[in-house]
Amino acid sequence: MSENRFAHLMLLPAGLWLLLLFAVPLFILLLVSLGATDPAYQAVYGWNPGNFADVFDPLFAPVLLRSVLFALATVALCLLIGYPVAYYIARFGGRWKTLLIAVVVLPFLVNYLVRTYAWVAILSDEGLVNGIIGGKLGISESGIQFVNTPYAVIGGLVYGYLAFMILPLYAALDRMDPSLIEAGKDLYGSRWQTFWNVTWPAAFQGVAAGCVLVFLPSVGDFVAAQLLGGPDTYMVGNLIQQQFLENQNWPFGAALTAVMMLFLLIWMSIYLRSAARSSQQEAM
Amino acid sequence: MTSDGNGAGQEAIRFEGVSKHFGDTAAVDDLNLVVNRGEFFSLLGPSGCGKTTTLRMVAGFEQPTAGSVHLDGEPVEGVPPYRRNVNTVFQSYALFEHLDIEGNVAFGLKRSKVPSDEIKTRVAEALELVQLTGRESSKPAQLSGGQMQRVALARALVNKPSVLLLDEPLGALDLKLRKQMQVELKEIQREVGITFLYVTHDQEEALAMSDRIAVMDAGVVQQCGPPEEIYETPHKTFVAGFIGVSNLLPATVDGKGIKLAGGETCKANLPDDVSAGDAVHCSVRPEKIFLGSQVDKDMIALEGTIVERIYLGTTTQVIVDLGDDQRVISLEQNTDRSRADDRWEIGQKIKLGWYPEHALVLH
Amino acid sequence: MSTVAEPRAGRVSLPKARQGRRRPRDFDKPRFLRAFFWLFMIFTFAPLAIVALFSFNSTPSLQDFNGFSLQWYDEFLSNATLRQSLTASIEIGLVTMVVGTFLGTTLAFALVRARSRIARSSNLLMLFPLVTPEIVAGVAALLLFAQIGMELSLATIMIAEITFSISFVTVIVRARLSALNREVEEAALDLGATRIETLRLIVLPALWPAILASGLLIFALSFDDFVIAFFTTGESPTPLAVQIYSSIRFGVRPTINAIGTSMLLISFLILAVAVLLPRILGRKDEQNVLMGGDTV
Repeated sequence: MSENRFAHLMLLPAGLWLLLLFAVPLFILLLVSLGATDPAYQAVYGWNPGNFADVFDPLFAPVLLRSVLFALATVALCLLIGYPVAYYIARFGGRWKTLLIAVVVLPFLVNYLVRTYAWVAILSDEGLVNGIIGGKLGISESGIQFVNTPYAVIGGLVYGYLAFMILPLYAALDRMDPSLIEAGKDLYGSRWQTFWNVTWPAAFQGVAAGCVLVFLPSVGDFVAAQLLGGPDTYMVGNLIQQQFLENQNWPFGAALTAVMMLFLLIWMSIYLRSAARSSQQEAM
Repeated sequence: MTSDGNGAGQEAIRFEGVSKHFGDTAAVDDLNLVVNRGEFFSLLGPSGCGKTTTLRMVAGFEQPTAGSVHLDGEPVEGVPPYRRNVNTVFQSYALFEHLDIEGNVAFGLKRSKVPSDEIKTRVAEALELVQLTGRESSKPAQLSGGQMQRVALARALVNKPSVLLLDEPLGALDLKLRKQMQVELKEIQREVGITFLYVTHDQEEALAMSDRIAVMDAGVVQQCGPPEEIYETPHKTFVAGFIGVSNLLPATVDGKGIKLAGGETCKANLPDDVSAGDAVHCSVRPEKIFLGSQVDKDMIALEGTIVERIYLGTTTQVIVDLGDDQRVISLEQNTDRSRADDRWEIGQKIKLGWYPEHALVLH
Repeated sequence: MSTVAEPRAGRVSLPKARQGRRRPRDFDKPRFLRAFFWLFMIFTFAPLAIVALFSFNSTPSLQDFNGFSLQWYDEFLSNATLRQSLTASIEIGLVTMVVGTFLGTTLAFALVRARSRIARSSNLLMLFPLVTPEIVAGVAALLLFAQIGMELSLATIMIAEITFSISFVTVIVRARLSALNREVEEAALDLGATRIETLRLIVLPALWPAILASGLLIFALSFDDFVIAFFTTGESPTPLAVQIYSSIRFGVRPTINAIGTSMLLISFLILAVAVLLPRILGRKDEQNVLMGGDTV
């Protein structure tokens, strides 16, 4: 058998699997998003584009907005925290560089749920911080409400996805030619100027990649909001989860999912196009 | 254009109207060639001329888009590489890194289900042939380039194929080693008597090792024959330019001779298919050009100015400008104790000449 | 650096700009960055350390550590539901690893070797799961199972996890595969090996580190996964991650600490295997190489 035919044969197992178990379900998702629920709370197919209008209903729009805002805040914080860390390792890590980056990433290999639980355990009313504040330091008897606030949720998101910012940043910064910084020092004199005019543009691809890698999953996250927040801090993920597992309103849930997916796809393609363009420029 | 050997029973490989197209481009175009048994046959040409594609069609890695390839008199259409009685030596050696030398060399024999004691003897013989006895348990990573090439050779020869295909096998070696291996390869081929089909872009290599050479360009065989024939009597301008260095002076056919660009007429042997006024090239090898006092009355003589002299150790190249944008390279052996700078001066006006029988008219 | 009013004989006067330059260059002393870095390390490791610490607490408190005890691990492992969850997670991991590695490797092979429009579209299809948010994946899987009437169970989780693991394996194996020298495979064919034999004897031995690494990766990913499992799990058993989630909804307990710490240890164990195994197996190769003879 020719090599080409043999190779195409290899395409079948995974190709069929992905087609039937990934592409088709997405299609079903779209169909269901246009469906409705019958009196028995079963989802039936139909043509109800109104589901999508419902998504933007004043009742739910704040949730969507909040998801985006939380995600943006997460990205910003991840950038602020992750950049210095990545910079430090890339520039001053020396021969320990690889070890350092591995150690930095290590905690993030732990189950996301366990990591989120860690913060719940620490910040909750029966948790460590309140224990220290209330008991040991005697500052406040009733403790401070940490959980069930937007800050806790955002904190949880940051702790969940920080590694996705650090790794691409590190890769870009490590690849940068250190003599550029030397040249910058001579040219600009001040640290901040050098950073802003030399380092930042040179490593920008890493920043872009990191922002996308953090933004995408943050928008759809519901674990952080569920465990560290409450109904006031619900994100679109919680909303979706509700429709499927509590309200049994699958069509609406599907519509929400589809809208979210579309929203993310738009940003993804913007990113990919700009990344392709900039790598073309680099090649030139 | 083909220079056949003996009858069909002595044919190791026959190409009949073989073409290979990749999309719209023809890598090989209507190839008709015969390689005789026991021959050291080279395919010579620049990159992209189709020589490697031709080799791969013999090996079975490519199928011709037209025509047919015959091995030992049998057409091999559709026969996969593992069922052809040919073996290949690759430019990158392509040794199996996870096997030791013995494992590498024995690989083909194991696939043919040869009994294991016979395998042991034949592997030992093959390693002795390439002078690597005792290295059976080494791994490829421990060997030098030259040694790896020998293992590749042993691995192929141990199967006693009817044809051995070599794809620029010495390309990755340094100059000295390459020259040494050329001699060794030639000796081994003589010893085992297997037909070698050798691909190279190095014309010196082809001249040194081959019984016959096929010079290829753009998928077409330009000329095929023994090395002396290719070098001394090229039939095409391309061949003259590709093999060795050649001076190619543009000229026009004028009566029984040619008229050079500068107006000088000279006698020359004209090929049959030219007529008066045709544009041709006068090809003269640099070593056939004499300078200064060595020019005698039987030569075709021209005048020019020396623009450069290049000292090459064994020889000196002198470049002479004849005017009208014509430059001639002349090559002299440095048999004299005096250096070239002493004999020729840049800017010096000089007479140069060649014997008419050393000039070829090509088109 | 002296201010030179007039050049003395034999001395060059320094331009004004240089005179103003700061002395030991502050750039090269990253004091702030270093402090930030270590603070960061503390903040990322501390929560996990605290979780682990309190998993050994002798009292149910998460605020005061009152002594060492394994009672919470005992409670974890003697709880049938939790034990079932642990085995369920391991099963999911193993099945996903085996099936996902097979599917991903074959796909990688096809994508590298096949040349056609179908192959290019398959590449796109393969990339899609990598950019799909998990919640979308979970929802889509749930809808699929509902549509075909399949009851949710461990099997449905496995199917969904495998679907999302394939791409990871493909990307990793493909990278290694395209770096292989094609001529080595051609040499095998040339010497009489059929395509299957070439795969078995030449390609797979060169590929196994990538296959192994990607296998361990998807074991870890599916073992730890929450979102997809959450949407596709049946009533019981549920994987450990889902179990933790349900438990947290009811409030924090040291038992959860025990579960969490166990999962942490398992993750690190997998990582250790992934890092050390190639080195151990590679060292055996090195031994042979060293004893095989001198390098020329």
